Amino acid sequence: MDVLFDGLAGAVALLLSGDEESWSIIALTLRISLTATAIALLIGVPLGAVVALTRFPGRRVVLAAANTGMGMPPVVVGLFVTVLLWRSGPLGGLGLLYTPSAMVIAQGAIATPIVVALVAAALQQVDPDFLVQMRALGATPARALAALLGEARLPLLAGAMAAFGAVVSEVGAAQMVGGNLAGQTRVLTTAAVLATSRGEFPLAIAFGLILLLLAFGVNLALTLIQQRRVVPR
Amino acid sequence: MSAGIGCRDLRVHAGGRELLSVPELHVASGRTLAVLGPNGAGKSTLLRALGLLSGHRVSGRILLDGRPATRSTMRHAAVAVLQRPILRRGTVAANVISGLRFRGVGRREAYERAQPWMEALGLGPLAGRDARSLSIGEAQRVCITRALAVGPQVLLLDEPFTGLDSTTRADLLADLRAALTGRPTATILVTHDRQEAVALADDTALLIAGRIRQHGPTAEVLDHPGDTDTARLLGYTNLLPPALTGLARTLAARPEHTRLVLDELSGEGDGHTVTGTLRRTVALGIVTRVDVDTAAGPLTCLHPGDVPAAELPPPGAEVRVEVRHARELASAGRDEPAGVR
Repeated sequence: MDVLFDGLAGAVALLLSGDEESWSIIALTLRISLTATAIALLIGVPLGAVVALTRFPGRRVVLAAANTGMGMPPVVVGLFVTVLLWRSGPLGGLGLLYTPSAMVIAQGAIATPIVVALVAAALQQVDPDFLVQMRALGATPARALAALLGEARLPLLAGAMAAFGAVVSEVGAAQMVGGNLAGQTRVLTTAAVLATSRGEFPLAIAFGLILLLLAFGVNLALTLIQQRRVVPR
Repeated sequence: MSAGIGCRDLRVHAGGRELLSVPELHVASGRTLAVLGPNGAGKSTLLRALGLLSGHRVSGRILLDGRPATRSTMRHAAVAVLQRPILRRGTVAANVISGLRFRGVGRREAYERAQPWMEALGLGPLAGRDARSLSIGEAQRVCITRALAVGPQVLLLDEPFTGLDSTTRADLLADLRAALTGRPTATILVTHDRQEAVALADDTALLIAGRIRQHGPTAEVLDHPGDTDTARLLGYTNLLPPALTGLARTLAARPEHTRLVLDELSGEGDGHTVTGTLRRTVALGIVTRVDVDTAAGPLTCLHPGDVPAAELPPPGAEVRVEVRHARELASAGRDEPAGVR
């Protein structure tokens, strides 16, 4: 019990002390996770929309692959990205291994299938004639698509939250492709793992708490957007 | 060229099958055309092809005011109301202005322009309601108001009254008719219901199996079926082939004009009389339905409900049936030879 209590007290002290190293870890965690989520949305939303709204050979295979990807172990993704970026690997020349960019690539790869699968499910839930009706009211194809995305806003933002949640909490791939280099690629999860392995429980608990706060803050923002009232009371 | 919407050599294909073939159709501004047909006749296919909304392979020309329509000109000219009411999340008022908003009208102006339409269609009290809380009748009313608020050159209605209870439907039909009267809108209503055609349309086209079989003023078309298919579509479900009547052509009559001859003194009027075997009688409240098998197929008689069942012959009895107001069919249906059902 004492360990836990000391840990909590130490965590609060660390948070209040404004320790520079801790803040740089928090900033890097946010930067990498949000960038990876944004990239996953940039790739996943159009891909999910294509899967949901068009008919092409192999469409269901793509969907099944995305659904499988939702449950893919981050370690597997980390392994593949590591091999790709290894000095003698296909993309080794880029010299990205053990950089934040490598972490963004790995986490983007983890989040993209989640976005594709949830966007496809969200858009397929809307009436199949929704786009036709919007166009039949005078909407350009782009406006009609925007209206469709607005209509599916609730599940779409739930998808964004799921994607962010997956990357911010992920440790395996971050460790493998980032290497947990202090001041360079150390993020909250890898820092917490390291602190725990060293028996520095107050520090580990502090990182854990900050991670929770961070995840809560981002999800709160997304939830407020999601639950914005469209009908006045 | 004349104002309005039309098409030339319109064909729609899907999966290697021709769904629709309409050599020519035109609806002038200010006129309403009903396209009447059974389920699966291609009515929605026709409507969507005309509105350039089809997901199928479409060939031929769609004409707006006599000129070939483009997606852009059609987008500005036409509005469609689909069978299922499709509304966006938000208030009724926000939905009603969405057609105007898509056309680049500012929010404030859109509300101002939509207001009179909301009043005319009785949506005033519902303006602030959540669109998801509406009944299906109210939702369809919102969809129609949303279309009218745009002030479209062309209004395309895809069975918007289907699934509404009869009172709601009658009210909405009347409101729509009133709203369209005197407006320079070319309206096409797709429906399987004759009453809707009567209530709204100046002209009616009968669409069966992707082909227009008859086209003309509504009253004329609805009362003059040309073949057995259109006869059945128009409620002339009793068909009397030449073998039964001795006439040169098949006759078609409505069940409400077909009666059993119960009294030897009657049955010598202006109608045709045929004999058959009574199969069953069914009391339907305001009418009694009597099914009779003749040598050339079944006939249905509808008697006013005040005929006591005891006065009707029992099943299996030989009966005489009098058919009044029968129409001579110009030709047999495409699917079958005349008189065989």
